[in-house]
Amino acid sequence: MSLYLTWSLWEWLLWSIVLAITLGFGILFVTAASLMISQNTAVAKTRKRGSPVHILIVLGSGGHTAEMFYMLDQYKFDPKDSTYRTYVVSSGDNFSAGKARDFETKRGDGEEAHENYTILTVPRARRVHQSYLTAPFSTLHCFWTCLTILRGLHPEQRLLREYTAYPDLILTNGPATAVCMVVAAKLIRFGLFFLEWSSWLQGRSPVFTVSKLRTVYVESWARVSSLSTTGVILLPIADRFLVQWPAQAGRRAWWGMKKTQYAGWLVI
Amino acid sequence: MKLCFVTVGATASFEKLLEQVLTPDFLQTLAERHYTHLLLQYGKDGEKIYNNFLNSGKSHHGLILGGFDFKSSIEPEMIMTTEREKQEQQRGLIICHAGSGTVLAGLRLGTPLIVVPNPDLADNHQQELADVLEQDNYAVSSTIQDIGSAIAKAELQKAEVFSSRSGNNTLFENISDQMGFLD
Repeated sequence: MSLYLTWSLWEWLLWSIVLAITLGFGILFVTAASLMISQNTAVAKTRKRGSPVHILIVLGSGGHTAEMFYMLDQYKFDPKDSTYRTYVVSSGDNFSAGKARDFETKRGDGEEAHENYTILTVPRARRVHQSYLTAPFSTLHCFWTCLTILRGLHPEQRLLREYTAYPDLILTNGPATAVCMVVAAKLIRFGLFFLEWSSWLQGRSPVFTVSKLRTVYVESWARVSSLSTTGVILLPIADRFLVQWPAQAGRRAWWGMKKTQYAGWLVI
Repeated sequence: MKLCFVTVGATASFEKLLEQVLTPDFLQTLAERHYTHLLLQYGKDGEKIYNNFLNSGKSHHGLILGGFDFKSSIEPEMIMTTEREKQEQQRGLIICHAGSGTVLAGLRLGTPLIVVPNPDLADNHQQELADVLEQDNYAVSSTIQDIGSAIAKAELQKAEVFSSRSGNNTLFENISDQMGFLD
């Protein structure tokens, strides 16, 4: 007679709870540890200057988009540098899409400038006034689209040959779509880590020679002393967290995590 | 031309500010300080206040008035407050709600700026931002009632401090290590 069959209902219940708690804490611990290792690992210097760079820029909406382009204005593109820009806007946000087009037109005096960027649309993670009951589903939809974009499988994506689908750098400054994109990037990096690891174990050369999917979050200039909700969520996840006011410097998600970095006004 | 541009933003209405800038006292102050034009971006609920003033037959104190509800970009209006010799344009003034987009646009132009937090808004980030901007001498923070006396202060402040980003690193200098470039 097996031991389990003699258990009473209470014993079953007790052990189920013990198992659930152990599993829960296990997952929590593994997640926290991976985030900690990920944030504290410096990027290896293996990328040649002037090699093709794919930058993905998430345009939040209104004020977020305005701040993003104020920051991008400072980016003096070296003609020798080859960069590809993917802009991500939320569906219905014509303001951001227009701003991206203006920005590219303004600076693209070369003929091939128009081939060097795309504007992709993702469904909104949560519409204004949307019920919290249906919001998780639209967030999942948004998250899935972000994964599709990051793997280069979005139907509107038309990357030039010298660029890999995985963006090298992901720039965000909020709100919800940025969270989806940064989490999606981390998830893919987690997968890539095991891929690299297994190929290393089998003695094969690494899949990527340079870092991919590095995520940068810039807290809004309007946030003087407290982080935004997006900021709080991304604090343990983003690889680089920049703040624009001194009072926001040195924050971290928990012990051992990377601190926010005061960068001065990036938007001026 | 010397323009005072008042903008209340697109989302929330700010009727008290509009009423204040159309009082005889305020118009008189503008005229005394040699302003020639007053332009209002009055938002979704401000049209009535503006039209009521025009229809009331009250004195404009020699100012040329203009108003509109909302535009997707107010950049052209903001540029009219900067000093441009060709257009015979003197440095003007921007009076705005404490929305970050408008304040930033004003700071980037170097126009004297009066920031008026909206007391009816629940979240107090606007107040916080206005306070720290005043404290660091970037703009003048004012209550609705005091904007008249804030004009002189804002004009003086801009004569001394001109916003520019010297010494700051740009975004891309800050994150270049994330790219892992070879030195």
